[in-house]
Amino acid sequence: MSRLGLIVAASCFFAAHWCIAEAETDDQVAARNDAIDFAGAFQNDGFKIRDGNYYGKVSVDKSALVAVNLYNGNAYWFTASTGEKSEKLRVSVFDEGGNPVSYEPYQSGTRAAAGFSPEASGVYYVKVALEAGQPATFCLIYSYK
Amino acid sequence: MIALIPTVSALAEQQPASDKPLSAEELKSAVSIDALTVPTPGEFFAAIEKGGKPNWTSEYRPPISIRSTDRAQMALNLGTLIADGYIAVEAQDSQQVKNIGKDVLALAKKLSVSQTVLARGASITQFAENNAWDQLNEELEATQNEVKKALEENRDIDLITLVSIGGWIRGTEVVTGLVMQNYNADNAKLLRQPALVAFLKNKLALLPERLEKDPLVQKVVRELDDIQRMVSFAPDHVPTIDEVKELNAASAKLTKEIGVSE
Repeated sequence: MSRLGLIVAASCFFAAHWCIAEAETDDQVAARNDAIDFAGAFQNDGFKIRDGNYYGKVSVDKSALVAVNLYNGNAYWFTASTGEKSEKLRVSVFDEGGNPVSYEPYQSGTRAAAGFSPEASGVYYVKVALEAGQPATFCLIYSYK
Repeated sequence: MIALIPTVSALAEQQPASDKPLSAEELKSAVSIDALTVPTPGEFFAAIEKGGKPNWTSEYRPPISIRSTDRAQMALNLGTLIADGYIAVEAQDSQQVKNIGKDVLALAKKLSVSQTVLARGASITQFAENNAWDQLNEELEATQNEVKKALEENRDIDLITLVSIGGWIRGTEVVTGLVMQNYNADNAKLLRQPALVAFLKNKLALLPERLEKDPLVQKVVRELDDIQRMVSFAPDHVPTIDEVKELNAASAKLTKEIGVSE
């Protein structure tokens, strides 16, 4: 990509990021509050909830994928919620080659989670998918110990 | 797998469904964001604690000068200082936490983001006085995020990358130092982070010209190339003690260069 292209791409990325940071929508707030509430169960088990989160949109036809860098020896829970009532959400984990890994799933309507303990450090992909229901905004957070 | 107490076991009753591998198109669409893609020093440090309590105080360093007026250097130093805060929390050293908290605030002030992090600074002091180590861990990450948010609001978004890089470099220096003290395969394998360095380098490539020309930033870019090579190994490779030493020397050198006053 040319230097100009990089600058334009960066400007678009930061402009989008800026808008998100400036104005959280009601859907995002509801999704985040529910995801944090849900992750509280893992906190009781000694997991620390990371302060950051990711908002995305999912529909039955379009899932979302987030790259995370994990450490062997740590245990992780990836928790997502739409904060709404009717969706069937699903969280799954893949290795750096895009191959599914063995993880502990949880799914309950608007909430879903995946527990994973990597044997190798490196990048993994967390997929948030909607199996049923209308398109929705979700919030993804993660916890580790 | 993860050891689960009843609270979590009750949640995770279902069996994993069979997942199809991700397509090349899906992998290309993956989102990388600073808030989730870059692990905190706390995560790095939590992993190395699995092999026994490390000697955290052995990884302390002398206070750094915060007199620099170079904003790139201040941002990098802020990242290294926040990593120092995590080390002090792991060492459960309340005085050191308070000292570092003061330095973080001083640097934040110079970067004009102090107002938003003042409350965090007060919380850090309070938690340190109460030996509330878990809360301190969370507070440090929240402080780092507040700083980044404030930089964003001040249209200093490019400095965010430098804060993340400073934290990761210092974290790598510390973890490699601890691995050298207690070398074993599990600890050594923690050092594999090729995609993370690639992510940070990609963000550096997007810096505006004024920052790109900063001599310290140029140095960071050059030395990250070497560091990327050292942390890019196959998932089943266990770095040798010499490889760990090489990475420790490289990250320590860069941390020192970041901390040197003008």
